[in-house]
Amino acid sequence: MEDLKTGAEITWCPGCGNFGIFTAIRNAIPILEEKGIKRENVVITAGIGCHAKIFDYLNLSGIYGLHGRNCSNSEGIKIANPDLKVINFSGDANGLAEGLTHTMFAAKRNQDITFILHNNSVYALTTGQFSPLAEKGWKGPSTPRGSYEEPFNPMSLMIEAGATFVARSFAGDIKHLTDIMVQGVEHEGFSFIEVLQPAVPYHKWAEYRERVEYLEKEPETYFEAIKAAKEKHKFTIGVFYRTTRPVYHKELYDDHNPVTQKISREIRLDKIRKFLSDK
Amino acid sequence: MNNDVFTFLVGGKAGEGVKKAGSVASHIFSSMGRHVFQMDDYMSLIRGGHNFSVISTAHRWISSHYMKANLVVNFDKRSCETHVNDIAENGIMIFNSDEQELENGIGIPLTSEAEKYPMKNLMFGVGAVAILAATIGFEKEEMNQIIKDEYPRGIENNIEFASTIYDIVYPDCGNKFFLEKGDRERPIITGNEAISLGAIAGGLDVYYGYPMTPASTILHTLAREAENFGLAVVHAESEIAVINMAIGSAFTGARAMVGTSGGGFALMTEGLSLAGITEAPVLIILSQRPGPATGVPTYTEQADLAFALSAGHGDFLRIVASPTTVREAYYLTAEMLDLVWKFQTPGILLTEKHLSESSMTVEIDLEKSKWAEPKMYKDGNYKRYQDKDDGISPMLFPPSKKIIKWNSYEHDELGITTEDAKKISFMHDKRNKKLETLIDYLKEQQIVKIIRGENNSNIFTYGSTYMSVLEALRCGSLNPTTVAPIYLNPLPIWELKEFKNQDNIVIEQSSTGQFTKLLKEKAGLNVRNTIKKYDGRPFDPLELSMKIKEVLE
Repeated sequence: MEDLKTGAEITWCPGCGNFGIFTAIRNAIPILEEKGIKRENVVITAGIGCHAKIFDYLNLSGIYGLHGRNCSNSEGIKIANPDLKVINFSGDANGLAEGLTHTMFAAKRNQDITFILHNNSVYALTTGQFSPLAEKGWKGPSTPRGSYEEPFNPMSLMIEAGATFVARSFAGDIKHLTDIMVQGVEHEGFSFIEVLQPAVPYHKWAEYRERVEYLEKEPETYFEAIKAAKEKHKFTIGVFYRTTRPVYHKELYDDHNPVTQKISREIRLDKIRKFLSDK
Repeated sequence: MNNDVFTFLVGGKAGEGVKKAGSVASHIFSSMGRHVFQMDDYMSLIRGGHNFSVISTAHRWISSHYMKANLVVNFDKRSCETHVNDIAENGIMIFNSDEQELENGIGIPLTSEAEKYPMKNLMFGVGAVAILAATIGFEKEEMNQIIKDEYPRGIENNIEFASTIYDIVYPDCGNKFFLEKGDRERPIITGNEAISLGAIAGGLDVYYGYPMTPASTILHTLAREAENFGLAVVHAESEIAVINMAIGSAFTGARAMVGTSGGGFALMTEGLSLAGITEAPVLIILSQRPGPATGVPTYTEQADLAFALSAGHGDFLRIVASPTTVREAYYLTAEMLDLVWKFQTPGILLTEKHLSESSMTVEIDLEKSKWAEPKMYKDGNYKRYQDKDDGISPMLFPPSKKIIKWNSYEHDELGITTEDAKKISFMHDKRNKKLETLIDYLKEQQIVKIIRGENNSNIFTYGSTYMSVLEALRCGSLNPTTVAPIYLNPLPIWELKEFKNQDNIVIEQSSTGQFTKLLKEKAGLNVRNTIKKYDGRPFDPLELSMKIKEVLE
């Protein structure tokens, strides 16, 4: 497990929920390896925010992208070389504010990537402004009278957008989170995992632990899933939706791989010659 | 003055097959072994409005259309009004007599003849081809074969209609124009086709785009050819997604390219900067249309030069080059793809609607195109941003047991985030070294086009305006030296030095003279006069030659 750390100095606040996510992913990788997924085939992306520091700490290859845009990096990786397993880390502002369109479209396309949403419901790194998943009334430096917006419901939003694996877990339940991460990476298609993740300057672990409940039964149909996503309170953890649908890269070029099955220069020039002779 | 050129102009409403008729005419000329230049002028709409195509053909290389046409075919009244002054001396205009009566010109009842057929709206184009065939002395059988090949839907109706129009036209102006046959048939392609093919020849693996005129046809061409060449071609949700996807693909070693126009490029600039710091090789095709903002979507301009040269926040190397001809667009795209991989930095191929969407006969030596190859990691410790004398860190792609980290934060050699003062300046210095390496490399290449003349004045131009200038000089029998830098960043000042204090004239399509400013500031060039055009239309060679004459005198 230790070898999944880069050794870079960790600067999350002591007690931050991000440590739980960091532990769970380092648990999940060896399990995935046992299941036949090679470690060198796993690549990660992160956006910008407290979530993203995981990029520097986790000893895996990848891209530390721009705020809100790493989902597009993830898609570009998968499209170019579908042999790679992409794990996309995101905060709730990174993925649902600046990056909302990209998240929605990646789900719509059923891109075969795993999207882990660190839901701390606050802009922690930039000193506590309200975020897309913050409760209405959140008092931060940009909303001194309390925010005016209702938060998104990430579960129903992603089911609606087209994600084919939609789950919620909790940074305080490493076993549950590890298991959900493994399932998410194994799932062929867009896996969306929301992780309840307290940011200690702003939240108390006790409040999370008191409220977290397990979804008693995994919904079996789309409408059951939507119903569960809408009716269950937002501390309900478990798999809300799981289905199969063709993944984007296979729709695009079947079993081809643009990088590993690149067409040689000679063949390309011959084909161009043919193209020109028809013009 | 331009007796060696024959020009055909066809105009009508959008949806009447104007452009198709234009390209059929181009193919007729090229099949005669002649050189062709076709410019399509169309509005940003689907039906109605006014569209026209102008095709000029010559026995020698021709690099522009001429607005004075020998044969003008107008489908409607608006077209007659628009092109009343576009008829050359000894030229003829053929108009639709169902729309209006005119004293000058030959009226043909195009509408009433077309109405006899079920697809009447699609018949006008066939009619235009029949008119051209009759006036340049084609036999009916030759014409019928062309109609069959080019208009395969409802062949019999099309041939019958063409025959009727041919018979109406022939008595008045049959065989009026004699077009000498040339040596051999050449392919006709648009600038965007040349860019697409050049990219494929250079090793393109993935292309991302969001539709925006005049770059969209790169997306269309590559999407059509994706399977044939094993490419991934994706129409994404925005230009922001497009550039970030391309960077993701480049991380895997895929040769990635994106294409857009000014507005879409503005959205890409954040990602351009990401490519700068992550040292991601990404090629951006920026095909300009008149701005600012939405501007004039389907017309041409060169007003994004200054933007392209400085786009993206922060210090990083942006390679910017602009092809001067359709043929060169092929070579330059492959070369730019190679350069962005050699130097691991973003590159911008700057072009214009006039090159992107005009088509011309080309002769391309395919083997001459470059193949994009990066410097690869061999052995030892792998560090993504390893310091090297030339600033270029060897590359490695996943899957690999080595850790490959690309980072948008300032980082150390391993790609781990840093805020350390020494490491920040160290990494800036490391990246900045690439400019010197690039200049040394470019000094060995031919990156400025210089045609030595006899006048004491020099003409500076770039991009597709170069084609207009060459044609203007030819038709005006003018002989100044012309200089066209292909690379705009780094600007090859070492090649421009000799002209510094001479009498220089700049020709460009920007209202504020952005190219002039660049030459003055970067190359210290003395510029006496700038000939500008900024009405969205490319230069007409005749008009331009008169302007050049005035300035030279």
